[in-house]
Amino acid sequence: MSDRPLRIAAALVALAGIAVAGYLTWAHYADSTVVCVAGGGCETVQESEYAEIAGVPVAVLGLVAYTVILALIVWDAPVARLAAATIALIGLLFGMYLLALQLFVIDAICVWCVANDVVIAPALAVLTALRLRSDWGQTPRV
Amino acid sequence: MAAMSPGSSNRPSGRAVVLAFGVAIAVSAALVAVALFLRNDNSAPAASPTPVVDLQGIPQDGAVLGSPDAKVTLIEYADLQCPACRRYTEGLFPSIVDGYVRPGRANTEFRGFPFIGPDSVKAHRFLLAAGLQSKLWELQEALYRNQGGENDGWVTDELLRRLAGEIDGLDAERLFADAETDEIQQAADAAAGKAADAGIAGTPTLLIKIGDSEPYLIQVATVAQMQAALDAALQG
Repeated sequence: MSDRPLRIAAALVALAGIAVAGYLTWAHYADSTVVCVAGGGCETVQESEYAEIAGVPVAVLGLVAYTVILALIVWDAPVARLAAATIALIGLLFGMYLLALQLFVIDAICVWCVANDVVIAPALAVLTALRLRSDWGQTPRV
Repeated sequence: MAAMSPGSSNRPSGRAVVLAFGVAIAVSAALVAVALFLRNDNSAPAASPTPVVDLQGIPQDGAVLGSPDAKVTLIEYADLQCPACRRYTEGLFPSIVDGYVRPGRANTEFRGFPFIGPDSVKAHRFLLAAGLQSKLWELQEALYRNQGGENDGWVTDELLRRLAGEIDGLDAERLFADAETDEIQQAADAAAGKAADAGIAGTPTLLIKIGDSEPYLIQVATVAQMQAALDAALQG
């Protein structure tokens, strides 16, 4: 894959991440209107003691991370690529932890959280890492 | 991370990549560690020993709190395991009691929708039994303050006995006996179905009934919105 499609794909995935994390942030803060509905899982997950770290909702962490990654993709300096890949990898690893929590600890699954954990975060990590490689391919190593 | 390999302006060095990924793994591990560590300080909902609202002196009859002659009735469908219901009781309910129920302007009716699980049905059973002693609202408030995790068995006999002991005028022995009667058990078992039949999809669901007219749904998230809805009903 050449760099341009990779860059566009990474930007689109980052936008999808912003959309999902944005929705989850909204859902977290709008919780005074959230009701408990039969079969609904997101409220349980978002209500859990794991939904915040030191008062910061994990959804906000995701929103910030995706926004920074998108900005780095737009910036597109070599250091920005590396930084984007680094943040994406952090997101992937932390997303795996959150997914494990949902599966094994909270015993509730939040569809939008899973969309983030198994689709968006891995996709972004792979795309940003591939961009580092494609970059190497274009310039011979010294 | 700004390290570049010599002779190239367009790519990070292999060393920088390894370093960056090392940083990523370390930061992730630190995040998880901080998350796990702070979770314990954060483990909500913490049980609170003090009632969030004073209900003493307000008339109660079964599931209705407040004057039976009040023109406006606020109906609440609730599941005792629902965190949103707990928030309603802790956040909005005290202002409703002080501003409308205690002065006799409105009364409020509890309707159970115990759909989350067995703890919901058991709590509902004891609420109905407490209603026979006109103490449903005190027990409901106390249970919300001590709400546990969904379906983890938190509605224990021990908890119910302790909370009943803290409520003036509630006979715990009678409460436990009443909660086991066929009538109460059937009412509690049937409540979720009845609420669903009435079109109730979740909790808390709030409705306002003016006189004998058909109740209508209200959507409120703040004290101000609740006051506006009740004021409109009182003027209507």
